[in-house]
Amino acid sequence: MLGGVVFKLRDLGLMKLTGSMVIHVRGKGHLNRPRIRNPHWFLRKKLSNIGELTTSDNKVFINQLVRENYNEADVSNNLKVYEQNLMKTEASISSPSIVISQNRRCGTIARKIGEYPLWLNNGEKIRTTLLQIIDNHIISYIPPEKYSPAHYPNVKNVNKFGCLLVGAGTINPTWLTKEYCGIFHESRVMPKKMLARFLVSPEAALHPGTALNVAHYRVGEFVDVRGKTIDYGFQGVVKRFGFKGMPASHGVTKTHRRVGNIGGGGEKGRVWPGTKMPGRMGSRWRINKGLQVLRTYLKYNVMWVQGSAVPGPTGGIVYLYDTILPHRKKKISSIASLSYENIDKVTDDIWSEKLHRFKDIRMTHKNE
Amino acid sequence: MKSVITITHPCEVFCSFTMSAATKLHKTSWCALRQLQQYRTKANFSASSSSIAKRNELFNQEQKRQRDAVGRIDKIEVRYLGLPEDVTLVMNANISTPYNCAQHLSEGHKRRSALALIDGSVPWDMHRPLQESCTLQLLHFQVSEPHVVNKAFWRTCSFMLGAALNRAFKPEANLQLHSFPGPNIKSGSFVHDIVLQTRNWQPTKEEMRTVSAEMVKLALEDHEIERLDVTQDIAQEIFKDSKYKSEQLPSIAQQTHGRVTLYRLGDHIDISRGPMVGATRFLGKCTISAAHKVADEGETDGFYRIQGVALPSGIQLNHVAFGVLEERSKKLNPARLPNEPFEEHQQLQLS
Repeated sequence: MLGGVVFKLRDLGLMKLTGSMVIHVRGKGHLNRPRIRNPHWFLRKKLSNIGELTTSDNKVFINQLVRENYNEADVSNNLKVYEQNLMKTEASISSPSIVISQNRRCGTIARKIGEYPLWLNNGEKIRTTLLQIIDNHIISYIPPEKYSPAHYPNVKNVNKFGCLLVGAGTINPTWLTKEYCGIFHESRVMPKKMLARFLVSPEAALHPGTALNVAHYRVGEFVDVRGKTIDYGFQGVVKRFGFKGMPASHGVTKTHRRVGNIGGGGEKGRVWPGTKMPGRMGSRWRINKGLQVLRTYLKYNVMWVQGSAVPGPTGGIVYLYDTILPHRKKKISSIASLSYENIDKVTDDIWSEKLHRFKDIRMTHKNE
Repeated sequence: MKSVITITHPCEVFCSFTMSAATKLHKTSWCALRQLQQYRTKANFSASSSSIAKRNELFNQEQKRQRDAVGRIDKIEVRYLGLPEDVTLVMNANISTPYNCAQHLSEGHKRRSALALIDGSVPWDMHRPLQESCTLQLLHFQVSEPHVVNKAFWRTCSFMLGAALNRAFKPEANLQLHSFPGPNIKSGSFVHDIVLQTRNWQPTKEEMRTVSAEMVKLALEDHEIERLDVTQDIAQEIFKDSKYKSEQLPSIAQQTHGRVTLYRLGDHIDISRGPMVGATRFLGKCTISAAHKVADEGETDGFYRIQGVALPSGIQLNHVAFGVLEERSKKLNPARLPNEPFEEHQQLQLS
């Protein structure tokens, strides 16, 4: 025999004939057929060749033109964001707030910018993660009748919901293809780096061009955070699954961080599928539910959420949704970032009551 | 109003605009070319195909006659100045062209050279025979002083626009090409003046796109632009079917001592003074942006000015910047209008 080596004929693309011995490999005979239909906003984004033949004067001129042509609100003045247009559907005019238990509200795209401790009034230190909502604008709305994506999200009664396309992270349109910029014609916002869909009920639909800021979430409410976990690469079982490993000394030979036993014997004497072994760790989409919003700072569009359970590295993008956890869901919430009545009452920096503000008087401890 | 332009099959228009013309030139496939050739055979030209065939036959005959008339082949020394080094080429008088000189140099020179410069000052078509010993420079669009080649490019765009309009219009429109004024790049657009058998043509966006698509197709087909210097009689014979050309020929011939310069691109023949670039492949991104009604003509006809803007192939420009150029090119070009009577000295401006 050929020392137990099997030639994969599919891969080599030929039949290896050794005398009268022909090695066949069974398989389905084709690569996985792609079954996905991409959404309409899935277009070639960046130009492969920007072209550097314009003079510096022309470059300045083009940049000025770009700034002039887009809505002023885009150009990162968060306070202007208050001037929004709610979608002129009958539902939204009559009830700018919606009952969360039956409806879905729009989510937002944020960036994890770091982690910081905060202190409660009783002196406890808690870990918090800072999330910044980066330049979010509604790009378009697809009503439920017309929305039929290839990839349905795992949500109950999906057919009742429409789709809001939200864009985040403004980018210079001269670096992009014309087709990609065409997505933003309707809303007249500057083209965005990231696009994401959020399922919404028709009552909570928002007008294209509406900006979303951190006032979309109230302090004390709970959010679900979806992100791609940190990519650790190929890792061993000790790091990946928390295996104990073996002692470092006392005669242990060449086995300190290995898997050890991978199965039993008997009738089903084989390695079971799903057996924990070394492999790629991380870089998975995960949703962490029920994180409380402790503090929001409107000027920089930053929110502090409880804990360090936000998936992904610092600087990574996360998607924020209203929580689905039944005990932490708010009963009623306003659809948009800020309803017009409350503009005057808003201050920039809102803290949860249970937090100790740094500028407050120092805490006193009771003598035990 | 019934559409006057044959709207090309949607996928052909779509094909042209999913990628920029520049990338499309580089990615020509046999499939696309075959489709184009099929389209050409079923194209319905506004001028009748028999008159076009007759014109081309006359052109070919005259070309052959001029070639045969050379007689004994004399040698000339052409001193090529430029990269990679200055060389002296020994070429045939009245037969060899700057394109032939480029062929002696390299494939890159051959593909890239759009125009030739004789004795440092005289612009010369790539396929026009050289007459005597001279110095030769081969110009492309990235030279340090591109004014001459830019003008030739602009003129060629007007010329190609005439060919594209011929292909785009249905016979019912009764399209007659009038002329095109001299190139003025600073005006923001190249121009071709036409006469249509309607007084109130409002082109739709799709119709304009179709004409742009025809330009791009011409570029893809990579026609050589041939030049022919003929006597007034032969020119009259060639253009006997065209009312406006026949009218213009006497005054043109008067300015240029009884000779008329004709240019041919595929099947399309037109009159023009100055040099054109060597082939249609030099056209990159192109948009035909506007069609302005200039004046009424005769009983039922109207003069229209078709305007467009284009970049040479190889020049990449983002869509925002090109959009600015397109907007500018929509404004009515201030060049001499076709219905205005022009003075003697202005006739020299007739391209």
